[in-house]
Amino acid sequence: MTERAGAVPSGRLARLASLLLREEDAAALAAFRFCFGLLGCVSAIRFLAYGWVDEFFVTPRFFLSYWGFDWLTPLSARGMHALFVALAVVSACVAVGFLYRAAIVLFFLGFTYVQLIDVTNYLNHYYLVSLIALLLSLMPLHRAYSVDAWLFPRLRSATLPAWCTHLLRFQVGAVYFFAGLAKVNSDWLLHAQPLNIWLSSRSYLPVVGPLLGERWVAYAMSWAGCLFDLTIVAFLLMPRTRVAAYAVVLFFHAVTKLLFPIGMFPAIMVVAALVFFSPSWPRNLVAFFRRRAPAPAAPALPRPADAPLPALFGARVVIAACYCAFHLLWPLRTHLYGGNVLWHEQGMRFSWRVMLREKNGSVTYLVTNPRTGRKQEVTPRKYLNGRQERDFSTQPDLILRLAHEIARDFEAREDVRPVVRAHAPVSLNGRPAELLIDPTVDLASMSDGLAKATWIRPVPETPPIHLESLAWHRP
Amino acid sequence: MQNHSQVSARPPRRWLRGGSVARTLLGGLFAIGLVAGCERIAFYSTSQKAPDSNASSSSTTTGGSTGDQDSGATAVTRAMLLDAIATCNLDLLDEFQKAAQELDAAAAEAKQDPAARPKAQAAWTKAIDIWQRAEPFAFGPAGPTNTPGSQGLRDTIYSWPLVSRCLVEQNIVSKAYEAPTFGTTALINMRGLAAAEYLLFYTGTDNACSPASAINSSGSWAALSADELAARKAAYASSVSTGVAAMAGKLLAAWRPDEGNFDAQFRNPGKSGSAYTTEQMALNAVSDAMFHMEVHVKDQKLARPLGIMNCEAATCPEAVESRFAGRSRTHVRNNLVGFRMLMSGCNDGEGVGFDDVLVSLGATALAEKMSADVNGAITAADAIPVEDLAQAIAQNPESVEQLHAAVKRITDSLKTEFVTVLDLELPKLLEGDND
Repeated sequence: MTERAGAVPSGRLARLASLLLREEDAAALAAFRFCFGLLGCVSAIRFLAYGWVDEFFVTPRFFLSYWGFDWLTPLSARGMHALFVALAVVSACVAVGFLYRAAIVLFFLGFTYVQLIDVTNYLNHYYLVSLIALLLSLMPLHRAYSVDAWLFPRLRSATLPAWCTHLLRFQVGAVYFFAGLAKVNSDWLLHAQPLNIWLSSRSYLPVVGPLLGERWVAYAMSWAGCLFDLTIVAFLLMPRTRVAAYAVVLFFHAVTKLLFPIGMFPAIMVVAALVFFSPSWPRNLVAFFRRRAPAPAAPALPRPADAPLPALFGARVVIAACYCAFHLLWPLRTHLYGGNVLWHEQGMRFSWRVMLREKNGSVTYLVTNPRTGRKQEVTPRKYLNGRQERDFSTQPDLILRLAHEIARDFEAREDVRPVVRAHAPVSLNGRPAELLIDPTVDLASMSDGLAKATWIRPVPETPPIHLESLAWHRP
Repeated sequence: MQNHSQVSARPPRRWLRGGSVARTLLGGLFAIGLVAGCERIAFYSTSQKAPDSNASSSSTTTGGSTGDQDSGATAVTRAMLLDAIATCNLDLLDEFQKAAQELDAAAAEAKQDPAARPKAQAAWTKAIDIWQRAEPFAFGPAGPTNTPGSQGLRDTIYSWPLVSRCLVEQNIVSKAYEAPTFGTTALINMRGLAAAEYLLFYTGTDNACSPASAINSSGSWAALSADELAARKAAYASSVSTGVAAMAGKLLAAWRPDEGNFDAQFRNPGKSGSAYTTEQMALNAVSDAMFHMEVHVKDQKLARPLGIMNCEAATCPEAVESRFAGRSRTHVRNNLVGFRMLMSGCNDGEGVGFDDVLVSLGATALAEKMSADVNGAITAADAIPVEDLAQAIAQNPESVEQLHAAVKRITDSLKTEFVTVLDLELPKLLEGDND
């Protein structure tokens, strides 16, 4: 599958090479690099400024690690603060393109490490940031409009290969597409939940507030959100509709930012969607504001048919194809488990199921000493802080993880492995609370993994709640 | 310009030029996704009635606790709920302040005349009974220091479970309580209603400090005669009662419209000067305070003494509240009554409460369930045959277990459906751990 450098491609490989290796204006990718680095910097500073470094990584007594990442532990308090300062610095370096390669690799490693410390910190957009950082690590985005290009003239290039743009478009497109696909479910489309719940509680907002309690508004926004996610990539890809589509992107994410506490997500997606623009969009934008013709772009250079392939071109294509295939299939893995992913959560993470559920649970562990028969209740509060507990209490694998920790603790103290059961009523999208975990199962004897979890109870059959319009203010 | 046009004028749908294999792959994936999505749409039978579908006309619900949907009365808004809670809270604090003043006077009398001690005890009982009803109202000035508008006043009035009998006894020896501002400035675990309870009700001459403690190793405690000890306890009780009255006055003043006027901040969230930037934030503050039921009542007042949580022995009767006055059952009952004032409204549920908002929202089943659970828990408290839970745990543990289970039903609903339907955040208070 690999080719030695200098080989002349033919047939499909030639067409693929011409598609991927075509040189395009570097302006758009340089702008994307700048915006991405800036977001990384702002994000790290936010963590420091809001005290989240302590809250998320220092004060918790117990961390719920990702499956297979138990070995990964947080640094000391000073170390975690230093890490976030370092993340702010390296992301600023990414933005300006200073020591870019080292900076983006360090940003990827540092940011991903931070995310892997505790599952309850998981957010789809943090996952996206990690993936984009990984992809940017492979791209020579420091060749134009960067300190590196200024310092090291041999690096300078006004163009970048088209595969960089294609790969980023794929990644961002996958987020929108799967986010839209995930909304094709009865809760979202037929019951307008959880939007009905969220919007009803925001009827205090000026101007639009009274409308938000109306159920039809929740339906309209649910369907609009689903259609937006499913179609926006296509509209962004088409030159004729691109600008209008991006205006919709801006509107959509501005609305979500105003209505919901979703932090950096809107900003990240607004920046991410820039990858769909033409490689010269920054020039056009500058020209638009200066009311003059755009500065001359670097010429797009179609790849000559007889040009030799770079070393290991085929191998690189296979790796990229595997990456894409993985990201097309991985979000769909929940269908192997059956049931409703919003309830059992198997296949929920890393699948771009964004803002799909209002779910709250109350977990109490019942620990039995098999030698004496004595039963004790253990509250998750003993191990988790309030933020961790809220996220944990609706996710079966995390409930299992803490059960194992409780068993370990008990065994160390009492010298006998206890039976650990969980009483875990959970309400999904306003349904009456039902038990998420089989209360008869000894969780201490269950192992975590990718197999279907038989100890998770079936999804409740009742439909979600429908809330009536209720204004904040007196009628 | 020419270069630019070369770059940007690409033919449409170029991205699909990966060949027929790529197109087929993408098409197949899309189809799989849609089928999967449709499968999930069909997952629920949409013909089923919604759990609260009876309430479909609830936009015109009544102000009653479980009002008739079709009565045509005015819908209960969240703003009306905030108003009702504020009024309810002010009435409670006003009532408590009067009781605290009575306690202050009675404790002062008992300081002068030992025979007046029963009167002081009665005054303490009256005050604590009102305060226990106010416990679920600990938001705003009474709330924990990390909450909006907080002055941390709850703990200055009643700091349980942060109470140190040994520290109180050290003060008895040192007479630190004689300092004029002791009742309002001393550490919270040596003053307030909890310290007053020990001082007014405990007549033993022993102390809870370790033998190595200075009051024991130096013999200063042993040197106090029984009469002197009683006199000092009475004087100490008077000092902390004065402090309680002062703090009750401060708390009431913080709320009163003609003084601190937190009342206006609470009723007008989002307006200039309010500690709450939105109405939802104010409602959230109330719901945070309601989690008193989870942390204090279910776990500390019931589960721990029962020996089912944070207890190394079979039971931990020493962990019960009100060990000296022996009113732990009534305390829990009053906590439940206070919770019911928020849930169902003041005046025995006649006023506006959370249940009315739930009904107006269409969550009638949840409103009825929670109201029934609260009443069930009060009934379970009444069913405990003795006043002292430590005694009840020894004699009839099942009755206390039933109360614990009844309270757990409330807190489970609170942490699941209640916060879901009202879109409330769980409180950060849950970070606390009193092990």
